[in-house]
Amino acid sequence: MNSSHTITHRQLFFIITQSQIGVGVLSLPYTLFVKAKTDGWISLLLAGLFIQFSILAIWKLCEMYPKQTIFDFMPKIVGTKLGAVLNFLFVAHLFSVCVVLLILYNSVVSKWIFYQTPRLVVISMLALTCVYCITCTAREIARFLMLVSPLLLVMFIFVGYAYTDVHLLYAFPVGASGIKTILSGSTDALISLLGFDTALVFLAYTQGRSNSKLKAISYASLCVTLFYCFVTFTTYIFFNPVEIVIVPEPVLYMLKAFSFKILERTDLIFLSIWIVFVTTSLISYLFFTAKGVQSIFKLKHHKSAAPYVGIICALIASIPASKLDVQLWSKLIGMSALCCSGIFPIFLLLIAVIRKRKGKGKGAVST
Amino acid sequence: MRSVRLISLFSSLLLLTGCWDQAQLNETKLIRAAGFDYLKNGKIRNTASIPQYLNTESGAGPVNNQVFHAIGNTARQSRIKLDRKVSEQVEASKNLIVVLGEDAAKKDIYHILDVFYRDPKSALNARIAVAKGKASDVISAKFKETETTMGIGQYLNESVRSAEKSSIVPSENIQTICPVMFDPGQDFALPYLVPEKNDVSVKGVAVFHGYKMVGTIFGAQGVMFTLLTGKERHLSMSLTKKITNKHKDRIMNFVSIKVKQNKRTFKVDVTPDERISAHIKLDMKVVITEYPRDNLTTQKKIHSIEQALSKTLTKDANAILKELQDMNSDAFGVGRKLIAFHNPTWKKLDWNKEYPNINYTASVNVKVIGHGIIE
Repeated sequence: MNSSHTITHRQLFFIITQSQIGVGVLSLPYTLFVKAKTDGWISLLLAGLFIQFSILAIWKLCEMYPKQTIFDFMPKIVGTKLGAVLNFLFVAHLFSVCVVLLILYNSVVSKWIFYQTPRLVVISMLALTCVYCITCTAREIARFLMLVSPLLLVMFIFVGYAYTDVHLLYAFPVGASGIKTILSGSTDALISLLGFDTALVFLAYTQGRSNSKLKAISYASLCVTLFYCFVTFTTYIFFNPVEIVIVPEPVLYMLKAFSFKILERTDLIFLSIWIVFVTTSLISYLFFTAKGVQSIFKLKHHKSAAPYVGIICALIASIPASKLDVQLWSKLIGMSALCCSGIFPIFLLLIAVIRKRKGKGKGAVST
Repeated sequence: MRSVRLISLFSSLLLLTGCWDQAQLNETKLIRAAGFDYLKNGKIRNTASIPQYLNTESGAGPVNNQVFHAIGNTARQSRIKLDRKVSEQVEASKNLIVVLGEDAAKKDIYHILDVFYRDPKSALNARIAVAKGKASDVISAKFKETETTMGIGQYLNESVRSAEKSSIVPSENIQTICPVMFDPGQDFALPYLVPEKNDVSVKGVAVFHGYKMVGTIFGAQGVMFTLLTGKERHLSMSLTKKITNKHKDRIMNFVSIKVKQNKRTFKVDVTPDERISAHIKLDMKVVITEYPRDNLTTQKKIHSIEQALSKTLTKDANAILKELQDMNSDAFGVGRKLIAFHNPTWKKLDWNKEYPNINYTASVNVKVIGHGIIE
C-alpha cells in the first residue's frame, strides 16, 4: 500500500467520532423517550457499553488480517464464493445506510429551512459534495474530518446554554420505567451510535500499534456516547415529559426559544453545524461503499466508483415523500444496519477464530 | 480546456443562491404584536399590529401604527384572513408579544398557541401576556407613544420587560411556559395588562391552572409571588412595607427595601398516613433604600427592623399561598416535587382535588446587609 495513503491512530479517532455523530443527534432524545421515557439516557449509556463488544470484534478481525479491508478478508474467512455473496450483501447494506442518511437529512432540512426547495436538489447538493470528498485518499479524508471537529465544541456550548432554563426535577424519579423498557430503548440508541463500523475499512489504513488503534476507537465511541447522553439528558430536563412526545426534533426546538443580542434563531445556526456532521458521516460511509464497489467490480481505484455510488444514493433517497414513508424506511434500514454493523462482525470473528483453530489442528496432525 | 473548466466552475457559483425559499423583506409585513379574543359565537378574532416606519431625511422616522382585525374559526384561519386584508405577505417571525384576551385565557390557551409551536418560522421567544377585557383593546390602544414613536408591539414588550426587571411579573415567553403548561404538577403565571386611557399598564400576574387562567394577583403582591418562585436576584426587586403604627406621620411608618439575594428552600413532605405538607422558606438579604427615621446605628435597631419585616413578609407570603390554593393553581410546583420524590403517593392521588387541602406554609427571614450611604 502506498505510504501516502496511511493514517495515524489519532486521525482514526476523529474519523470514528465524526462518522458516529450524525443525523441521529437531533431526534435521538425523542426516539429514546418514546421507548424508555425519562430514563432514555440510561438506555443510551447501556448501548454505548454494548457497542464496545462490536468494536472489540472489529478490531480483532482487522488485527488478524492487517492492512486489509473487510472486503479483502471476507472471502478468506468464509470461502471465495460465499465471501463474494456476503460482500455483495454488505455493499447493499452500506448503500441503504447512505440512503437513509440522505433521507433523514432531507426530512429535517426541508421541514426547518427549505420548505419549497425540491427534494432532489437538497439531497444531491449534499451527495455530490461528499462524492467530491471521497475521490481523495483516506489520509485527506481524515484531515478534513479532523478539521471540522472543533465544531463539536460549538454544538456543546449551544446545547449547554439550555441550562439557563431547565427543570431538573423532570428527570426524577430515575429508573421508574423499569429495566426491561430501558433495555428495549437501548436498541434504538444503538442505531444512532452506528458509525464505528467504518473502522472495518479505515483500520486497514491505520498505522501504529494495535493497542493504540483499539484505544482510539474505544475513546471515540466513549466520547460520542457521552456527548449524546449530555444532549439527551438536557432535552429531558428542558421539556416536560408530556411535551416531548409531540416534539420530534427536541434539540432544535429547544434552541429555537433562545435568542441573544446579536443572534436570533440559534436553531438555524445549530442546523448549519449539524449539516457538517451529517456530511462527515456520509463521507465515511460513502468511502466505505465505494471501497466495496471497487472490490466487487475489481476496479483499479475506488475513485471511479464514487460518482455512481453518490448518484444512485441520491436518486433512491429522493423517492420517499411523506413523513410516514420516511419513518418506515429509516426503521427498516435501521434494524438491518444494526444486524450488519453491530452483530455481523462478532459472527465473522467467531467463524474466523474457529477456522483458524481447525487449520492449526490440521497443521499439527500433518507434521 | 482549462479555461472552459474554470468558466463553468465560476458560472456554477451563480446557482448557489438558489431560487426557492426566498423571503424578501420588502415583500413582507412584519407583525410586532398579536392579540387573540374569543367572540360570542366561539370564533377567534386575531388583532395584529403592523408598524410602518416612515422614512425621513434623518433616518428612522415616526411610526405609522396599523392595526388589522380578522375573524376565523381557528387561530391559523384568522391569520390567513388577515393576510388577505394586508397588501403584502404577513410574517410573524419577528413578533414581540402575544396578548390573550381574558375570555380567551380562561378557555384552553393551547388551542390558540398551537400555531405558534407548530410553525418553524414563528418567534417562540416572543413574550406572552393576558389583557383585561379584550386583547384587541390593548393592541389598538392609541396614544402618543404607540402612534408615533415605537408602535404598540415594542411599547408592550418594553413595559413587560421593565415589569420583569422589577420582579412584578415572572419572565416568561411562549416556549418557557410550554413545559410547565403540560406539567400536571406545576402551573405558571403571565403578566396581566390593563388598558387605560393614556397607557397600558402591567397591573399584576394572571395565574393559570393547566391550560386555563384561574385568577389574578395584583400589584406589590406580584413581587412576593416572584420571590416565592425562587428567583435569585434581579436588577431592582423592591418592596415598601409598613412596619409600625406608632408614628403619626404616615410616611414614618414605612421602610423600603431592595432584595439583594433571595434563597429559597422548598420542602415537600408526606407523612406515613399520606398527608401532604409543603413549606417554602425564603432567606433574603436586603438593603434599606428608604427609611426617613434614620439612625440605623445600633445592632438592636436593625434587628428590630429585620424582625418586623420578616413578620409582615411572612404574612404576605402565606396570603399568596392561600390565594393560590383557593384558585387551585400550583404555581410553585408542589406536585412536581411529589412526582419526583414521592412517586407512589402521587400516582394514587387526584392532585386537582388534593392541592387546595394540603398544609402549605411559608416563612420569610430577612437580613439587612446595607443601608445606603447614610445611616
